[in-house]
Amino acid sequence: MMLLMIEFLRQLALAFLGTVCFGLLFHVPPRHFAACGIVGAIGWLVYWAMMLVQPSSVLASLVAVIPLTIATRAFAIVRRAPVTLFLIPGIFPLVPGAGIYYTAYAFITGDTVQCAAKGAETLKIAVALAMGIAVVMSIPLKPSNLRRDRS
Amino acid sequence: MNDQQRVLEFVMAAGEVLLKNGAEVSRTQQTMEIMAKSLGVDSFHGYVLTNGLFASMGSDYGQPAQIRSVPASEVHLGRVEAVNALSRKIAQGHVTLDEAYEELERIKTMPYAPSRDQILACGAGSACFALMFGGIWQDGLIALAVGLGLQVFLLWMGRWGLNKLITKFLGAAFVALVTMLLFLNGFGQNMDKAIIGALMPLVPGMALTLGIRDLIMADFLSGTIRMLDALLTAACIACGVGLILGLATMIPGVNV
Repeated sequence: MMLLMIEFLRQLALAFLGTVCFGLLFHVPPRHFAACGIVGAIGWLVYWAMMLVQPSSVLASLVAVIPLTIATRAFAIVRRAPVTLFLIPGIFPLVPGAGIYYTAYAFITGDTVQCAAKGAETLKIAVALAMGIAVVMSIPLKPSNLRRDRS
Repeated sequence: MNDQQRVLEFVMAAGEVLLKNGAEVSRTQQTMEIMAKSLGVDSFHGYVLTNGLFASMGSDYGQPAQIRSVPASEVHLGRVEAVNALSRKIAQGHVTLDEAYEELERIKTMPYAPSRDQILACGAGSACFALMFGGIWQDGLIALAVGLGLQVFLLWMGRWGLNKLITKFLGAAFVALVTMLLFLNGFGQNMDKAIIGALMPLVPGMALTLGIRDLIMADFLSGTIRMLDALLTAACIACGVGLILGLATMIPGVNV
């Protein structure tokens, strides 16, 4: 249990730092770095926890992208910045870079079955991310109304 | 230039900044409409695509209209945020057209992060991802070195103005090649994790995200363009890695 806790914290720190680095590569203003990191960490930790309890990375991606997108919308309202600012760096831990690599690897080593399987999985993850983002972004919510209520 | 023309000029310039720097199509269109309305133009008609802007004003004969082509360039999300803030200020009516022009000029010249920071960020990011995907610390260290090199390589390639797909292809080949060379001395353990970590700066996360958002907002044409971009970029990365892995398998005694 202790080990799991340490691993959890390690994954949290890595995902946070990794996302902030990508935020810098997209020239996000430094004052939003923390928010980007939190968004990335939320997505990755849910994905990581899902992979501990079940083997499908497609399902894990779908489940992880939902809280991630909710977090981007929350930050967009609180920090009055476009969702894109947090979503583009934050989504990176979930983008199937590994899938691209393993597809190419299987293709080169002549393992056609594995190549097709990995290629399909990569595509499925991309679709899962799309579905998750689409669902959360479509929830109607007018930030302008909220702001008026608050003031 | 009369006032209406100046408003159109300004709105188009603002839209161009948004589109170039990673805003999605619907937001660009919406922002342009809000700005035009707030600056006193009632009938503004805009049409935005991933790489182009079309707008006209009014329905009378002789009213101004503009078309702008917006080629893809480096993304700067800070500029998107700044234009967003400017449009909010304009909508509240706190800004005159002249002030808005001045502010937009400032936004256009907002600096990119210094090259040194970009190189460090690329290296550290690659290392983080290699570790997250299950690499041990030696793999992380190799991914760090490759990531640093990758950003230097990308910045250097940027000067030549090479086509984006070719850049991704060569970048992926660079990552695979350098990682393999660094693994020759037996320091790291999981070459796949190190390569994947260092590939992350190249993967089309942005095209995918923007494509999804365009499609949700029913901008099907722009969404398709972005999705195609994401798919082709992914294919180019796979080809780049595959090329190096394939060549390596031909060398006797090398095991990929």
